[in-house]
Amino acid sequence: MNIIDLGTVPSSSENYLTFIEQMCDTLELDFGSYASLNPVTGAVHGYANYPNAWKSHYIKKSLHRIDPALHKAGLSIAPVDWQRFERDQKFKSVFFPAEDFGITSQGLTVPIRGPYGDRGLLSVTRSCSTEEWEKLKRHIMGNLQTAAVHLHDSVMRTNGLIGALGYSALSSREKEVLQWVAAGKLQQEIGDILAISHRTVEIHLRSSRDKLGALTTVQAVGRAIGMGLIHPS
Amino acid sequence: MIVIVDSLNAHEHSDLLIKMHQLRAQVFSGRLGWDVKVIDGMERDEFDELDPAHVVSVDDEGRVVGCMRLLQTTGPHMLTDVFSCLLDGEPPLRSARVWEATRFCVDTNLPGRGIARNSISYVTSEVMIGAFEYGIAAGISDAVAVIDPVMNRVMKRSGNAPYGYLGSPHAMGKVTALAALMDCSDERIARIREFSGIHHDVFNVSVPEVIRK
Repeated sequence: MNIIDLGTVPSSSENYLTFIEQMCDTLELDFGSYASLNPVTGAVHGYANYPNAWKSHYIKKSLHRIDPALHKAGLSIAPVDWQRFERDQKFKSVFFPAEDFGITSQGLTVPIRGPYGDRGLLSVTRSCSTEEWEKLKRHIMGNLQTAAVHLHDSVMRTNGLIGALGYSALSSREKEVLQWVAAGKLQQEIGDILAISHRTVEIHLRSSRDKLGALTTVQAVGRAIGMGLIHPS
Repeated sequence: MIVIVDSLNAHEHSDLLIKMHQLRAQVFSGRLGWDVKVIDGMERDEFDELDPAHVVSVDDEGRVVGCMRLLQTTGPHMLTDVFSCLLDGEPPLRSARVWEATRFCVDTNLPGRGIARNSISYVTSEVMIGAFEYGIAAGISDAVAVIDPVMNRVMKRSGNAPYGYLGSPHAMGKVTALAALMDCSDERIARIREFSGIHHDVFNVSVPEVIRK
C-alpha cells in the first residue's frame, strides 16, 4: 500500500488525517473515519475526512452516543457492512441526515482489538452500485485490515498509558526471520535455511510488521535494527 | 449448515449457543479430559466474554454437531495466555490478518461414516469451509489453530493439512495440543470441498437432494 508509515512521522491529528486521506485514495474509497475509546480514561479519539459541515452536525447532535458504527461494529471480529445494522431509530438518526451531507450509507466498519483491551473502529464509505461495492470489498479488505491496525496502534502508542508499554515483543523466530531478510535472503531461501515452509516465513514477517507498526518489510527491518532487535548486515 | 454467531447476533441464536457450550463440555471436559470449567453441562471460559465469533455446524434436526471459536490475534487471545505453553514461552504472533481458532470440535457420536453427510469428516470439513470463507471475506490471510492430534490427522486426510506449526506439542488432559498454521485461501477451500464433496453454499439452509441421501 502506497501510504504514509505512521511510525516515521510525528504523531499528530494532521498525520492521522493524511493517513486516512491516502488510504481512501489508494483503496478507492470516498470517506474514512477512525475512532477509539480508551478503556481506562473513557476518552474518545476520532479522526475523519468527512466534510466539516457533517462533522459539526455530528458533534452538535452528539451522534457518537447512538452511532451503530461505534456501538455495534465492535461486537464483531470481522468488518461489519452497514447493511447488517437494523434500520432502527438510532440508525435513521445518524445515516439519514448523513445522506443530506452527501455521505452514502454504503459503508463498513473494521473493528480493531489491541493487546490491552483497547478497541478501535475504522469506518469507510463508497458511493457506487451494490455490485461494485461487493467487488471492491473483496479486493481491499486485507489492506483495510492492515491499515486499521496500523492506525489504531499508532494512536494508542501516543496515548500515555499504552504508549509506555511500547511495541509487542517479537518472538525468537520473528527476529531470526527478520535477521535473514536483513542479510538479503528471499522468503523461499529463509524457509530452506530454517526448515520451515515459505508460508510460515510469510506469517512471521506479517506478524513482525504489525508488531513493529510497519507497513512494509523494509520498514520493519529498519525499525528492528533501530531498536537493537537484530543486527545490521 | 454453518451459522456464524457473534455478539452482534447472539440474541437471535441463544439456543444454538447453549447447545454449542454443551458440545464443548462433552468434547473438551469429557473426551479430551482438558482442565476446563463446566457449569450446568456447559463449557465456557473468559475468552467467551471477549466477543469472539463462533462457527457453528447445525445438522438437519437442528443439533449442534461441530463448532470453532475465532478471535483476532491483535487483541487478547488464548495463545497469549492459557495456551502460551504451546509456544515454548515465546510471544505469540500478532497480525491484523491472522485469526486464532480454538475450541474446534466435532460431535464424535455422529452416525455417519467416511465422507457421508453427518460423518465426523463431513462436519470437520463443513466447519473449516465456513471458517475460511468467513475469514476471506474479512480480509484474513492465515489462521493459527489450537488442535489435538486426532483433529490434526483428520485435517491431513481431508485436503486440509496445516502448512506449519508454531512451538511444540504439549500434553493437555488425555492428549496433546498443538498450534497449527493454515492459509485462509480459495485454494485450501477448493481442496477441502473436493475431498468432502461439499459443493453447496454452507451458509445456506437448503442442501441439494443428492447430498441429503
